[in-house]
Amino acid sequence: MNQTRKAVSAAVRLSNLEVGFQGQTLLHIEDFHVNPGEVLAITGPSGIGKTSLLKTIAGLLRPISGYVQVCGATIPNRPERGSIGYIPQKLGLVRHSSVWANVMLGSRAGNPRSSSRARATSAIEDLGLIEKKNEPVKRLSGGQQRRVATARTLAQRPRLILADEFLSELDDETSERVVKSVLNYVRENDAAMILVEHDISRAREISDRLLVIDDGRLNPFITDTSIMEV
Amino acid sequence: MAKIDSELRELLISVTFLLFSFWIILKLTSGAVWDWNGWSVIEPQSYPPCEANRFLQFTCSTAWIGMIETIKIAILATFFGMILSLPMGLLSSRNLFPQYITYPSRALVSACRSLPSLIWAIIFVILVGLGPTAGIMAMTIYTVGYLGKMQYEAIEGMNSAPLEAANAMGLTKAEVSLWVVIPETANHLIAQMIFMFEYNVRSGTVIGIVGAGGIGYYINLYLKFLQYEKVGAYLFIIFMVVMLIDLVSIYLRSFFTDESENNKPTWKGVLFPKNYVKTTHLIEN
Repeated sequence: MNQTRKAVSAAVRLSNLEVGFQGQTLLHIEDFHVNPGEVLAITGPSGIGKTSLLKTIAGLLRPISGYVQVCGATIPNRPERGSIGYIPQKLGLVRHSSVWANVMLGSRAGNPRSSSRARATSAIEDLGLIEKKNEPVKRLSGGQQRRVATARTLAQRPRLILADEFLSELDDETSERVVKSVLNYVRENDAAMILVEHDISRAREISDRLLVIDDGRLNPFITDTSIMEV
Repeated sequence: MAKIDSELRELLISVTFLLFSFWIILKLTSGAVWDWNGWSVIEPQSYPPCEANRFLQFTCSTAWIGMIETIKIAILATFFGMILSLPMGLLSSRNLFPQYITYPSRALVSACRSLPSLIWAIIFVILVGLGPTAGIMAMTIYTVGYLGKMQYEAIEGMNSAPLEAANAMGLTKAEVSLWVVIPETANHLIAQMIFMFEYNVRSGTVIGIVGAGGIGYYINLYLKFLQYEKVGAYLFIIFMVVMLIDLVSIYLRSFFTDESENNKPTWKGVLFPKNYVKTTHLIEN
């Protein structure tokens, strides 16, 4: 009974999913779910299908086969507008636009639309970007750009955050600030988060659960010896 | 002997080459370009009487009136062409819309481009009569075809990450176009528009020949009267104006690059691109 309730309320549920390109399977997932309020980290070597998995959940990549349910919608149906906040590895910022315009982009996608400006301002303040508000993104450093991408997602108020190595290039202090903002948001709003992270110690620190992609499958991270295997 | 600065040397080579080109033109046209009778085209027309002051008398000449009309046609055609081609460019981009939208849109853009502006001018002269209106319409249609293609290629070449982030958020196609695609490709779109204006000035000189307004009308007129020295003077004026617009266009386009804010372009930089000078230095060393 409890299991059934979990299945209905899961932020993400995947079963018998095959992810890959042009018919070639990179990853096979038998059963997987992420609950609201949960932070899940995925790690594994490069080119093994971590980003493809995130894109599949975001609805950007069509799965080869299987069942994908995200925020109550089953793919190919789209979840409600603004439900998914995606921070790609390359951040996906509009480089010629200002910090404000980029954050407003996320804010406009979120709900309610009437408070979009207030949400954008709050996210910019949270991530310490208020002085850079009117600067074009292309003039910012790599770390500052990562903060803008995070602010855009927080201003959106999504039910699910998908982040692809969003902490790389950040110094320890900024990284801590970004993590704190994101985790606060996740806990306070009962949102779910899936992040791809190469740094296993950081992934363990942030997440509630850590999975390792190994041999084309998602396996639970168990012991320190597994780190070496990855 | 002091070493001649490489930039000065390049200037001397350019000027010599230009003079040599003029000499060739002079020989090929049997002196028609330098027949001073031909330069009466920059004198004010006898009718209507010129009311400009004596330093601005040239503004009443056929050369000035024709050239200004050609430039006006080019400005309007580029403006209307840009307004119409931008939605077409967006609808033709395969990274934004599915094939059932991009194919018909591309077909329409190709259809606009399939006929040269001269043929469009003949069609519009038949439809709306002689004059610059036909010229504006003809060049607008051609601009949609040409600019539309350049735009969808620029859009398809943009970084996919902002599109992925916007699509994951659930933004509509209109919102993605307005807030992501246009700002992200703005440099390309503006540079292409400036290039198209330059192109339209050049082709605007031709469409006048079929009666669609501009300086081409006068060229056609004097060709019929066999006054080749005047035709030569018009061609020389067109050459000078096109060259000037070309330089201004290069200068303006150099503002719309990713690096433009760090390296504000200078006229010297346009005439003697730095990379080229550096390369020659390297070769010398």
